[in-house]
Amino acid sequence: MAEMIDVRFEVNGREHALRVEPRELLADVLRLRLGLTGLKVSCDIQVCGACTVLVDGLAVSACTYLAVDADGRSVATVEGLAADGRLTPIQQAFIDEAAFQCGFCTPGMVMAATALLAEKPAPTRAEVVAGLEGNLCRCTGYIPIVEAVLAAASSTAGDDGQ
Amino acid sequence: MIPAFALARPDRLEAAFEVFERAAGDAAWYAGGTELLQVMKMGLARFGTLVDLKRLPELRGISVGADGTLTIGAATTHREIERSPVVREALPALVRLEAHVANVRVRNQGTLGGNLCFAEPHSDPATLLLACAARLHLAGARGGRELGVDEFLLEPFVTAREADEILVGVAIPPAAVGEGRAYEKAKFRERPAVSVAVRLRVADGVITDASVAVGSLTDIPVRVDEAANALRGSAADPDGVEDALASAAAAMTGLDAIGDLDGSPDYKRHLAGVLVRRATTAALSEALGRG
Amino acid sequence: MTRIRTGPPPRSPIGESVPRRDGVAKVTGAARFTSDLSVPGMAWARIVRSPYPHARIVSVDTSAARAVPGVVAVVGAADLPDVNLYYGHALADHPLLADGVVRYAGEAVIGVVADDLATADEAAALVDVEYEPLPVVAGVEAALADDAPAIHERQAEARPHRGFEEEIRRDHPNICSSSTHAWGDVDAAFDGAAVIVEGTYRYPKSYAFAMEPYTAVAHWTDGGLTVWSSCQHPFMVREDLARCFSLPFSAVRMIVPYVGGGYGSKSYTKIEPLTAALALRAGRPVKLALSIDESILTTRGDGAVVTIASAFDADGSIRGRRAEILLDSGAYAENSPLVARKAANRISGPYRIPAVEVHCRSVYTNTAPASSFRGFGAPQGNLAGESQMDEAAERLGLDPLDIRLKNVADRGEPLWPGVRGLDATLRDDLCLAAEALDWWTPPKPGHGRAIGLSASDAGSEPVSTALVRVVADGSVTLTVGSTEIGQGSATVLPQIAAAEMGVPLERIRLLQSDTAAVSFDRSTGASRTTTLVGLAIQRAAADARSQLVEWAGETLAEGGPVEEAPGGVTVGGVDHDWGAVVRAWFGGPFGECIGRGYVRRAGTTAEMPPFWEIGCVGVEVSVDEATGQVRVERLVTVGDVGCAVNPQLVESQDLGAAIMGLGMALTEELVYTADGTLLSGNLVEYRVPRAGDIPAWTSILAERGDGVGVYGAKGGGEGSLNPIAAAIANAIRRATGARLREAPFTPERVWQALQERDRAGG
Repeated sequence: MAEMIDVRFEVNGREHALRVEPRELLADVLRLRLGLTGLKVSCDIQVCGACTVLVDGLAVSACTYLAVDADGRSVATVEGLAADGRLTPIQQAFIDEAAFQCGFCTPGMVMAATALLAEKPAPTRAEVVAGLEGNLCRCTGYIPIVEAVLAAASSTAGDDGQ
Repeated sequence: MIPAFALARPDRLEAAFEVFERAAGDAAWYAGGTELLQVMKMGLARFGTLVDLKRLPELRGISVGADGTLTIGAATTHREIERSPVVREALPALVRLEAHVANVRVRNQGTLGGNLCFAEPHSDPATLLLACAARLHLAGARGGRELGVDEFLLEPFVTAREADEILVGVAIPPAAVGEGRAYEKAKFRERPAVSVAVRLRVADGVITDASVAVGSLTDIPVRVDEAANALRGSAADPDGVEDALASAAAAMTGLDAIGDLDGSPDYKRHLAGVLVRRATTAALSEALGRG
Repeated sequence: MTRIRTGPPPRSPIGESVPRRDGVAKVTGAARFTSDLSVPGMAWARIVRSPYPHARIVSVDTSAARAVPGVVAVVGAADLPDVNLYYGHALADHPLLADGVVRYAGEAVIGVVADDLATADEAAALVDVEYEPLPVVAGVEAALADDAPAIHERQAEARPHRGFEEEIRRDHPNICSSSTHAWGDVDAAFDGAAVIVEGTYRYPKSYAFAMEPYTAVAHWTDGGLTVWSSCQHPFMVREDLARCFSLPFSAVRMIVPYVGGGYGSKSYTKIEPLTAALALRAGRPVKLALSIDESILTTRGDGAVVTIASAFDADGSIRGRRAEILLDSGAYAENSPLVARKAANRISGPYRIPAVEVHCRSVYTNTAPASSFRGFGAPQGNLAGESQMDEAAERLGLDPLDIRLKNVADRGEPLWPGVRGLDATLRDDLCLAAEALDWWTPPKPGHGRAIGLSASDAGSEPVSTALVRVVADGSVTLTVGSTEIGQGSATVLPQIAAAEMGVPLERIRLLQSDTAAVSFDRSTGASRTTTLVGLAIQRAAADARSQLVEWAGETLAEGGPVEEAPGGVTVGGVDHDWGAVVRAWFGGPFGECIGRGYVRRAGTTAEMPPFWEIGCVGVEVSVDEATGQVRVERLVTVGDVGCAVNPQLVESQDLGAAIMGLGMALTEELVYTADGTLLSGNLVEYRVPRAGDIPAWTSILAERGDGVGVYGAKGGGEGSLNPIAAAIANAIRRATGARLREAPFTPERVWQALQERDRAGG
């Protein structure tokens, strides 16, 4: 049995110290060891985006990302977004626009949108579509999701303008 | 679950070679993992040791040398290349290509070196780098060497890299005066269906030199000299180049194409013809801008 | 969204786009799915699957697997003598583990249970199964050949609630079932025709791709069985589990958390009996979580070959239609016999056709089993039927809109003898779609437009119950047997209860999909929930109010007569809310009034189908003739739903269904080789729609109060998928002159059709 490795990483602002096998995937550590079942495993081949989490702000497929590679980094999952129970503009916009149905793709989609808007706070519609191209949704037909991201971008812009 | 392995994370090249050698043939180099971890998860490969290359400074960095050569460290991610102002200036076609590799998560995690070494036959970068006459720098415990892309890619998933060699960097010659380089692909599913890269040089309204590579058509990315020859010597203006475009497209029909779920060999050859036209037109546009 | 409403306005909050109840849970990741579930002491299972599409199992050696530390049980069919292995909604032909023979590559053969998934994986790799390959038939033509090997040697037991009454007939060993749908004199219709359009159309074998794979947890406890599953019909699964394990229904408890996508692919029983069998042998709770690749091998959608001819008069009136439909139903019947029945029913509508003869056969092949999938036989036939309407229009020099207006059935007209009259005004729907699509303005070069229409005998069985429980503070618990599969039932059903009880929506809580805690509902599918479960809620509320009014009469009425008012009663000019009535009757701050609602085939729901589900769409496509790539530029959906209880959710369903249909029209296909190998068995090869594929969308809701549900509601959720493929084919024809008859219309197929057009002289 291969050696365990001690890793320390932040998840949603809280530091964790864990002992992991090198082969452990970030998705399993987050879901099964830390109880953060928001991210989902669907296709398991990095295509669908249901397992999207942010590592140092960059979207990765947690299903194919070694937990050891998160060592010293900051991981963000959907559970970390609503601080003190207040939804982020993206989360609120998803509700307002009915940008979800079954909800299985939603955590990954919300994280992808969060990373997208962090990088491009005022995206065009085409930029939103391109930014979400790697996240599949089987229920909604995508249009409400695109509308939600655009609405979140303009509501945030509105707030900044105050 | 991935079969158990030990993970080494060296911070110097020499240490990397040492640990690889100690693993006595049961080790693999590991960077982004988007392809390696995937095949391990699927039970198609197993290794006792993974040697993580991400801490090696020798594999990082994007720079342009005094002679204009663009050098990209093998452990550079697709995202880093996509966002690099240096690459945007030196080889804009590569920036556009990298922006469309797989999906955003693969681009954030996966590296150029990993992509080339895994040698998935549909690789986008390999096709463009082939047309651009890129050189690949390999390092080994016994020394370093340099290979052209055509010397490096041997078969699907097989390269000339020895198991204990590391791809350190990719060197791309600078664009000459009047040179344009373009990459066009058709993509229907997750990977490219067919892709074509064209590099050409225009002087006094004539295409004086050309290189054409096609990917996802035959078994591995290949140069199509017949297509390049068809372009060489042609007038560069839209009307004048028409015959050359037709000949370059026709040159694709002789290729030994592999049919797959994206299309039959005939259809894919047809697509290659469509794409060589589009890529040539784009390369001409860049070339005439640089004239 | 454009809403066209006629009739009296419904009572609030019916008709309002209230935010989804499950919204906060889903956007914060708090929503729990079966995939997220863990129970104490739980063990994990992995399945060993057949690599052969057809083979006899010669021997099984599990000794090495059993010897791995941490392995709890290794189970094959031979280890389950106390279990009835066979289940299946129409025919009980599907063993929960292969029983001596495997019939498709990927079939479950052995289950391995271990302390953790890594150990289960390791042990599964050590299971040694020896197979003797048998001849393979992987397509319908091969399966129906005279010398084809029989995939099922014996006739399986036909199940009583398969959804149709006819016998299951087999004229050939590989015919799973046959259906005929006929009336009128077809020969005469064709003899006298001015134009006959003929053709063969193909619809792909598809994969629903519910993003949550099939997942179940089974726990034997207190002499009973509890199963959590990502499934749509917990009461039906309960029944199958009871049969498999010889238990009374009441000893089986099915609990369904949020379901990560269903679309019909999670209808009926899937991996629940297998999971329960593994838990039985393991003596511990067991979780079986399939991967997506395994889910593709578990259930798919029927592919179809449709040979059809339609006969027309010179003025465009349709005289008759003949069709032969062959469904490729895979290795096990599952629900394909009912899909076959419905495919036969749905290929003629929604037109008034004097003579029809349709034969539909569901054929066994050595491929993954097909079962219910959104549309349920309608998309397969619609591709053929609606393509023919346009083809006929062309031959007769008519506008495709006009030929439809000419033939479409009117409100009140039965689409075929003996059924409920059409509860929709289709000509208005067609005109709404046409107008929204700018039908009369020529499109840009390289663009083409088409309108598509469908009507399905939907709703399945009208058997539903509901409880409305009013407690001492006037708040209400609503219990129903539906599942929340994404369609929004958890929001819509409380809206109905709120309106019917006159209680604010915030004071209504819903308990769903736990068979021990809620009352019976037949199923969540066939677009039935809003209409039929809504009716049950309406009746339960009426029952509760009736009791409460009586109670008020008994305890509050010294002041005079009792009058019902919204949310309570008025007695002698004094208002009392329902809570006050409960407290008065029970004599303190306690007690409960239980209102019961029953729906069955009687009264307004005696006639079948309970309602007609309408699909009416318009598309505009552009075609890149160099590559054959097709883009849907514009989409119009008309949701003819009678009353939109939650308009935003109705149009969500319309769009979702249309885009799913777009997938099968342009890119989705499970490709099998002749020797039974699946080439597109993962998400890299099987291409579903993405964000970049979306068109500009116009949504129209037509609410004419014409259904049997609350305020005239009818069902939605499948309608917009059914006519999409034909509409796209017709639009491609109008854009380029090329006619596609095989979906998906991949770039190569389009390019081939363009070449053919050129060869034929454009």
